[in-house]
Amino acid sequence: MNLLAIELLSPEEWTALRLSSTVATCAAAASLPLGIAIGYLLARVAFRGRWLLEAMVNLPLVLPPVVAGYLLLICFGPRGPIGSVLADWFGVKIVFSWLAAVLAAMVVSFPLMVRAIRVAFQSVDPRLEMAARSLGASRLGAFFTVSLPLASRGVIAGWILAFARGLGEFGATIMVAGNIEGQTRTIPLAIFTVASRPGGMNQCWRLVGLSILLACAALAASEWLERRQSRHESR
Amino acid sequence: MSLVSFQCRHRFAGGFELDIAFQTDHTVTSIFGPSGSGKTSVLSTIAGFLRPQSGRVQLAGQAMLDTARRLFVPPERRQVGMVFQDHLLFPHLTVEANLRYGWRHRRRRHRSIEFRRVLEVLEIGGLLQRYPGSLSGGERQRVALGRALTSGPGLLLMDEPLASLDAALKARILAYLERVVDEWRIPTLFVTHAQAEVRRLANWVVVIENGRVVATGTPDDALSQPEPLGWKNSMGPVNLLRLERVELRDGHAMGRLGDQLLYLPQRDLPSHSPVFVQFSPIDVTLSRQDVTGVSARNRLRGRICQLVPLDQAVFVAVDIGQIVWAEVTPEAAAELSLAPGSDVTCLLKAHSLRVVT
Repeated sequence: MNLLAIELLSPEEWTALRLSSTVATCAAAASLPLGIAIGYLLARVAFRGRWLLEAMVNLPLVLPPVVAGYLLLICFGPRGPIGSVLADWFGVKIVFSWLAAVLAAMVVSFPLMVRAIRVAFQSVDPRLEMAARSLGASRLGAFFTVSLPLASRGVIAGWILAFARGLGEFGATIMVAGNIEGQTRTIPLAIFTVASRPGGMNQCWRLVGLSILLACAALAASEWLERRQSRHESR
Repeated sequence: MSLVSFQCRHRFAGGFELDIAFQTDHTVTSIFGPSGSGKTSVLSTIAGFLRPQSGRVQLAGQAMLDTARRLFVPPERRQVGMVFQDHLLFPHLTVEANLRYGWRHRRRRHRSIEFRRVLEVLEIGGLLQRYPGSLSGGERQRVALGRALTSGPGLLLMDEPLASLDAALKARILAYLERVVDEWRIPTLFVTHAQAEVRRLANWVVVIENGRVVATGTPDDALSQPEPLGWKNSMGPVNLLRLERVELRDGHAMGRLGDQLLYLPQRDLPSHSPVFVQFSPIDVTLSRQDVTGVSARNRLRGRICQLVPLDQAVFVAVDIGQIVWAEVTPEAAAELSLAPGSDVTCLLKAHSLRVVT
């Protein structure tokens, strides 16, 4: 990290940036396996209760993030159904820690990730897996050697979208993770905190600029992935 | 113990019902019928992609499917190589990786097919580093065939292997298919709606219409059954004669048909044998007497085995050792009193013959 960059941001701002990136990266990474599984399921398999799964996945898209945060707080709180189990069995306390921020980002960004992955799998001919299986590959093997590589661009795009959404997560985070400096104060929370101070409106422009920059970079990356001509035109 | 023993009943969601049973012991069996007759469903059931409501499939005596015993062997354990109509090559892999895909997964005891030999026979060694997206139709077809072969199949299934190719390519791919059959003698089942392909490749044919088997037998027998099967699409039967030997006489290429001779429309000898000659039934003129003094070079004597009325025409099957179909008007058929058993001469202009090698 060079000096100029360090001097550009205050230590608090650096902490917020680091925290935001860590939270968004971890959230997107942790959602990925489930995102791939559900995206594939929704793209390929017809089953009863499919609409229910679809509705549950998409719910956070339309739900106010604060409500999602509230529900998370209830479930993962020390007396909540999941939180109490985690506390009693593993001694892990999630709420008001950076893990809660990860959790909030996961829930809120999950629909975006699943949508991108599902579209990616829909564009891969399902019969290619049949071809793979007739050549001796197991069902799982066919998935990992044929469908997943062919959908990889969409999967990465979904990851980036989820990452970008995680960076900006505010409502659910403040409910379930609070606004603790150095622990859960991500960039959006830092902006909110600084801007709430008297005369703070003028001090948060660097963080605002940073957010815009990150969002643009993420969008550009996913756009680039979608447009990039693969070296072998796909069929 | 048959190579393939097949029985299946399945009602599709759309209402189409499949009720098919057949057995075959022949190296190359064709499943022949018009499109939508259920041919591809038969292949899918054998390969394990379609699980019928009831049925039994045995390959070389091994049960692959038996709904009564709740037995279902998954596709990857059936050792059935499938060549799909649209090839389904893996677009993200090179040709070599496509070919190695099945090679990697096959069982050790099935290594009788050598990887290098497949490249040689199909002449695809030069394509290894290319991606499927950059291949021509004929190249794709050969790679798809090669991919199925390298997986060491006990049975080869081909779904309309020639349907997507133009006439010139068809002839070339046919030659490759024949080389594959000669080289490895893998039992093969192929689906087609083209009579010429059946006559050319198959030793045995199962004719399917509307989800049911309507005839089985050697191509000559099965395709001459009274019902005008599969003719509806192609407007009548197709003539394809197989000439085992072609020789030069008086500066003309002539093919041998038993003790009769057939003038070919060319002066040079074809490089391959056997040679196949294709022509339309409309180009065949029938005569009750052995005629002389006509311009048609070819006069083939034979005996009528059946008459099939279809629309405004009558198709007459004449047995000259192989079957020749002639198309005549109902009036002409009546005037000549054509009937099964009568002897006739088939007149054919050499130039209406198309030689396919």
